[in-house]
Amino acid sequence: MRVSVEKDAESLSRKRRPTREVKAKQIAYMFVLPAFLFFLVIVAYPLVSVIWDSFHDKNLLNTGDGRFVGLANYVEVIRSEYFVQAFVNTGIWTIVSVAGEYILGIVAALALAQRIRGRAIFRGIIIIPWIVPVVVAGLTWTWMLTPDYGVLNSWLVKLGLLDEPYYFLGEPDTALLSIIIVNIWRSFPFYTITLLAALQSIPRDIYEAAALDGIGPVGRFFKITLPQLKSVSIVLIMIHIIWTAINFDFIWVMTEGGPVHSSETLPIMIYRFAMQELNIGLASALASLMLAFMIIGFMMYYLYIQRKSGNRGGM
Amino acid sequence: MVESKRSKLVQKLLTYVVLVAFSLFCLFPFLWMVITALKPTDEVRSTRPSFFIENPTFDNFLHVFWNTGFLTYFKNSLFVGVAATALSLLISVLSAYALSRFMRFRGVKLVSVTMILSQMVPPVLLLIPLYIIMMQLGFLNTHISLLVAYTTFTIPLCTFMLTSFFSSIPIELEEAAEMDGCSKIGLICRVILPISIPGLVSTSLFAFVNAWNEFMFGYVFINDDSLRTLTPGLSLFKGLYTTDWGSIMSASVMSVLPVVILFLYLQKYLVEGVTAGAVKG
Repeated sequence: MRVSVEKDAESLSRKRRPTREVKAKQIAYMFVLPAFLFFLVIVAYPLVSVIWDSFHDKNLLNTGDGRFVGLANYVEVIRSEYFVQAFVNTGIWTIVSVAGEYILGIVAALALAQRIRGRAIFRGIIIIPWIVPVVVAGLTWTWMLTPDYGVLNSWLVKLGLLDEPYYFLGEPDTALLSIIIVNIWRSFPFYTITLLAALQSIPRDIYEAAALDGIGPVGRFFKITLPQLKSVSIVLIMIHIIWTAINFDFIWVMTEGGPVHSSETLPIMIYRFAMQELNIGLASALASLMLAFMIIGFMMYYLYIQRKSGNRGGM
Repeated sequence: MVESKRSKLVQKLLTYVVLVAFSLFCLFPFLWMVITALKPTDEVRSTRPSFFIENPTFDNFLHVFWNTGFLTYFKNSLFVGVAATALSLLISVLSAYALSRFMRFRGVKLVSVTMILSQMVPPVLLLIPLYIIMMQLGFLNTHISLLVAYTTFTIPLCTFMLTSFFSSIPIELEEAAEMDGCSKIGLICRVILPISIPGLVSTSLFAFVNAWNEFMFGYVFINDDSLRTLTPGLSLFKGLYTTDWGSIMSASVMSVLPVVILFLYLQKYLVEGVTAGAVKG
């Protein structure tokens, strides 16, 4: 008798628990549904259609008949006059920007991590460039760099570094480099904030122990600080490599990829294919190529992490 | 400590030198922007630019304010920014609640992964297909197109920020409310949201600043000058008033101002939000 009562109670609770769980599940799914629908309609579907369009003859004027053309779009993109240059430019733009941003970011973070007066004010000032819209940053620097009335040109001439004002954004050899400097100026604060948070979480006694061992400030930086910042730095750099490589705004606002395509990167080229030549097939092929580069990059990064953790497991 | 007083002093001095140098580097462009905006045209177009303004004037500001599309652009940006923030907050509150409480379900986990992925999808890649979709739906040249595009990128961001806020709310609080027969929606409105007001404020400001600063979609989707938002509007100023840098800079000052004011207000949250997001990766 007693046993059966216990059994009843058990089956009852087993029954009740699933229904409660099912209800919770329903609510949970209902709550994430809007966000998921947005994802499907605005991220997943467009991504699939980019890849689909890249194999078809499609353009905005409807002269393309939408037929399957295989890899023809890809071949045309790669053979197009400025592809190699845009590809190389994207590499230079990304690597130099990210390297510069990281160096400035870590120096500022180290300085801000010192215990000194006025730290909060300095931190506030250093974050400011990052808040400004890219367009405003681009316009302000364009104005400072103008040859006739630009303040930077006038300073450089006064200091004797230049004989006469130089049209930094209008000359093929300096256009991209100038935009890189502006990009570094606007983006490095993000590194500073992130690295500062990481620096402040390094236990102080490690430093004190190292100081007791007679290791100087420089040695401590290379032996303690850098290794401690490694994982944050890798994430930071990975994110920024992507953000920089795909950036459209800076270059478009300052030079539109000119003069003579000297500062054109792949995103600018996508825009040109799509909005100026109205050739959706070509633009999609280039976009798909960029996507492929990104995925390859991610996979290499993933394999690297895997191999490292594998090694650690083996030890 | 073991270090000598002298080396400590040197270190401190070096720190100040570095910080002052960085501050100058960061602030100078703003300073120059404001100085240019306040200069009359003949001083702007001087071959010897100086910090000193001989005849400071608000003419540039007045000109931009009354004689250009600035005010229209500003209103449009404000509208799109507020609407996009509201919409993404509405959706994110629900999904963030699910993410903070129901991660044990596979579907919820899937949504969280898709959100991380969608944060990594470059906007440039979505530009063309979204342009075509908007064209087919007849949304091109309307604010709806921008609303949709901005919401896509702010939903994941807002969801992650709100999830971390919601996770810190003890679950006992909810259980008590549930005992009283509160529905889930009622629970969110009456218990969760009032507690997380600081989180909601910082999340919505973050979303707003994101929408306010966006350039590419606004530039491509909107052709009608009366619907244009601020950032593309500003970039077109450069073409329209090529040499009138006084006007361009005063328009810049006026469009940065709201963001800077917001920033001063939310600096603490912003720093926390950024670091939480970035360190978690």
